[in-house]
Formats: sequence, C-alpha cells, structure tokens
Amino acid sequence: MADLHSDQHVSCQEVVELVSDYLEGALTPDEAALFEQHLNFCDGCDWYVDQLRTTIATVGRIEQEEVPPAMRQKLLTAFRDRGRS
Amino acid sequence: MIAYKFLRADGTGVFTRHPWPRPANGTPGAWVEAPLVPCRSGIHACRLADLPLWLGRDLYEVELGGEIAEERTKVVASRGRLLRRIDAWDDAARDAYTRDCADRAHALVRAAGPAFAEWDAVVEPSTAEGPALLGFVAARIAEERDGVEAYHAERARQVAWLAERLGL
Repeated sequence: MADLHSDQHVSCQEVVELVSDYLEGALTPDEAALFEQHLNFCDGCDWYVDQLRTTIATVGRIEQEEVPPAMRQKLLTAFRDRGRS
Repeated sequence: MIAYKFLRADGTGVFTRHPWPRPANGTPGAWVEAPLVPCRSGIHACRLADLPLWLGRDLYEVELGGEIAEERTKVVASRGRLLRRIDAWDDAARDAYTRDCADRAHALVRAAGPAFAEWDAVVEPSTAEGPALLGFVAARIAEERDGVEAYHAERARQVAWLAERLGL
C-alpha cells in the first residue's frame, strides 16, 4: 500500500495517536489544522473521532450513582484483573 | 476581509456543527461572533489558496471582521457572516474536480514509471470519497515523485482550477 504520510499532512495512524490531544485542545494551531484537513477527506477517521467525542460526552453525563451496583462491581473486578495481567 | 467557508449541506460547520445563519434573498446571514483562539474558538475560514485543503459540501463567501489571524492554511476571526453561497460549487463541479484530480494523478504516475504502479491503484477507488481526497491523492503522488515543492505546485494547480471554474 502506498504511504500517504509526509510533513504536509498526517496519516490515519497519526490521527489515532493524536486524537486525545486534539479533543483536549492540546495540539498547536498548525497540528490541529493538519489533523482537521485529514478528517475532511478521510471518512473513517472522521467517524472514529466523532464516535470518541460522543463516547466522552455520554460517559461524562453518567453519575456514579447511576451505575447499577452489580455492574459497578463487575467493572471494578475487570479493571483490577487487567492491572494484574 | 473576504474569505471562504465550507459548510455541511444543512448549513452547519464541518467540525463545530455550529448552525450558521445563511444568506437569503440577497441578504447576508447574521454576524456570528466568537473569541479568537485558533483551532479552538473563532470564525474559521479559508483564503482562495487554502480551498483545496478544506473542500466540503457547500461553499460560501464569508466576510470576516474584528480581530483576524492569518494562519498557515486558514484564517481565524472574531466575527464573520456569510455573504453568499457560491452556487457554482455544485455536484457537477465537485464531480469534475474529482475527475480532474484523478486524471492528473494517473498522469503523474504514468510519467513516473513502474516504481509508482502501486500509487495508481489508490486513485480510482478514492474517487467515490470525493474531491477533498482526490486532491490530496494527486498532490501526495506529486510529492512522492518530486518532493514537497511538487506537492505545493499540485495544490496551486488545484487552486487555479477552482478559481476558474467557480469564478473566484
């Protein structure tokens, strides 16, 4: 597959690496512009960033009390086990 | 300052989803104001030379006012209003631009010889994704072949195409 990367633009891989900084507004103006230019022509990355944005917005609205106790316990166990592996 | 702005078909910003007041019956849309912080806040628009980098569904001429910052590939201002929709940027123009960039990409590959054969395979499947991607593909092939100056030269060629076709 041809390599679509150069200093004039970012690749799909770089979008994945930079997405947190982009959503937190931590990219420089030039970096953010290159990031958005990529989203402008790459439907896959645009969808990916959109999904992350939606997830962050949704999770941000959930209060701790809204998580059922059984689910809360399941999640805590899963995170503990993940830390051990 | 007069610049250009692409919006989604429903009149919202491509990245912000802000619903823009659109011009109607020859009257500009209402002013929109936002503190100027490049890439975070402000009215983002592009100059003629930036158009190929931001190609979208609908194109408007926008008047910018207040504080204005000219960035490398865009302009950001503290206020702006849509003056008119550029009707020439329609389905036919989008298709013609896409085809022109695809043909250009094929020509660049042919002139480069067999070492660039894999690049040719990228071109036609990309046409379904529209003008922004094909413009990028053509410029990227030029860059791979002849360096970063060729990338910019290809982008300049695309600007000239758009300016002539859209009467800008």
